[in-house]
Amino acid sequence: MITLTINGKKYEAQKGQNLLQAAIDNGIEIPHLCYHEKLPPYGGCRLCQVEVTKGEKVELTTSCTYPVSQGIQVETETPRVQKARRLVMELILTMAPDSPEIQQMARKLGIETIPGGFPSSGEKGDDCIKCGLCVRACEELVGPGSITFSSKGPERKVVPPFEEEPESCIGCGTCVHVCPTGCISMEDLGRKRKLERWKRVLSMKVCNDCSSAYIPKAQVDYYLKRTGDPYLAEWFDLCPDCR
Amino acid sequence: MSDANVYAVKTLTSKEYFAPGHRACSGCGQAVAVRMVQKALGRNIVMASATGCMEVVSSPFPQSSWEVPWIHVAFENAAAVASGIEAGLKAQRRKGKIDGRKITVVAMAGDGGTADIGLQALSGALERGHDFLYVCYDNEAYMNTGVQRSSATPFGAVTTTSPAGRVNSGQLTWKKNMMRITAAHDIPYAATASPSHPLDLVEKVKKGMETEGPAYLHVLSPCPPGWGIAAEDSIQLARLAVETGIFPLYEIDKGKHRITMNLEKLVPVKQYLKKQGRFRRLSPEMMEEIQERVCKEWQELREKAEQIDPSAGADEALSKEQEGETEAAKIFRVKAGAPV
Repeated sequence: MITLTINGKKYEAQKGQNLLQAAIDNGIEIPHLCYHEKLPPYGGCRLCQVEVTKGEKVELTTSCTYPVSQGIQVETETPRVQKARRLVMELILTMAPDSPEIQQMARKLGIETIPGGFPSSGEKGDDCIKCGLCVRACEELVGPGSITFSSKGPERKVVPPFEEEPESCIGCGTCVHVCPTGCISMEDLGRKRKLERWKRVLSMKVCNDCSSAYIPKAQVDYYLKRTGDPYLAEWFDLCPDCR
Repeated sequence: MSDANVYAVKTLTSKEYFAPGHRACSGCGQAVAVRMVQKALGRNIVMASATGCMEVVSSPFPQSSWEVPWIHVAFENAAAVASGIEAGLKAQRRKGKIDGRKITVVAMAGDGGTADIGLQALSGALERGHDFLYVCYDNEAYMNTGVQRSSATPFGAVTTTSPAGRVNSGQLTWKKNMMRITAAHDIPYAATASPSHPLDLVEKVKKGMETEGPAYLHVLSPCPPGWGIAAEDSIQLARLAVETGIFPLYEIDKGKHRITMNLEKLVPVKQYLKKQGRFRRLSPEMMEEIQERVCKEWQELREKAEQIDPSAGADEALSKEQEGETEAAKIFRVKAGAPV
């Protein structure tokens, strides 16, 4: 166990933990968008910045990529931190002016207006903030790696390879659930599942008994491939109700 | 959106705030629901829990399953205590005694503690507009004391105080619609959820947490001993309740209805009822009556949702495609092994 000071109070943290996770475990709020406890830290959104004092040195750093060490002093709400966070938030907000989640977060940080207006004009934008959560979750949490970043600078975007329908996508919806702005949608329409953003349409597996569509065929194939258990194929012939 | 995803549940936190080792019956739907709700709530919360199954099984002295601040309160005043906690926290914050971090206040009660005994406390708290989340775990009777009827017991269900006899076959009144009652208070957020759709449940809890003002969540919790079902069937029963339209999953967000689990076709209620011991004495006429009412309520709900949400109209296009079918086939999706 490591002892560290956050906002003047002493807390304990596990060795090897990152500062953001240690703060969350101790019930301290630090705003963040690109961090997920199941994924390695990425440092993409820059929102989780805090002021860390280690010995003589005081630095402004992202807490998700900072490993905890004995005796560090952390301040999460100094004027310097708040100013840095507000700047970052304004930039994020210009990328996703229509997302209610981002708007709420911005209001919490005291941002009422941005150049170009906030709340936005109502034009449907992209709403992607390039946090990379969906890309990393698809690659590291699930495995197929069906989406990726393409281009650089202001052109940077998350797309399936060659911007074509990704054959490797299994329609599990993990990207939908991790997206902090809610800009990825998944719809079940009869016997098809559609992920609008990735231009992916999957056909669903139909239950042998009740003929209801309950899981994408690609997801079953992927699951069988990963587990390597041929007997599981029969398991997926029936929907959860008919098993 | 379908919830049958093998991988998406990996995004849930691996931390447990409702510790294992509690004394709930095997197959308890409520314990599963509580665990999911706690995962979504995280650790910055204060809970007020009314008397009921979950209080009894989770806190036998000197043990506790709760890894969050948790208060056991009387049967009737979970909502009143929660509003007191919320007001207290506000005052402490104003005086600078606690820091500015958001602490969610949660009240938890069963259907008896919500729809019968705690109704006036709940109504008062909703009307006063306290910023809290009220979670009702609905197992459709007073299960803790040995299955007595509550106002949330569905029509036709047998309990010890609504027994089946030569004339009657169980409860004679219809289930109290708590969603309509709470929505009538014009609260910002009210939703129904089921442990069979965990991601949907988690999303709704998070939405309720972030809502400023009161939020109400109604969670179905199948009870193996009380419903007369096998322990391993409880989640299946919860799913069937959703698919038959008996317990549709929807939310009322600032007055806007949205069906979160859109059903192409309903499963006949017979399949849900026949699996449960408490509906064993149901006559075919009563079953017909239940089916009619479920269809009517589902239709009403869809109309409410469609008025505002154009995306819910996708069902219309689908049913138009299948026009060659009979009237009944348009509404029902018949499961195999259905009792005839």
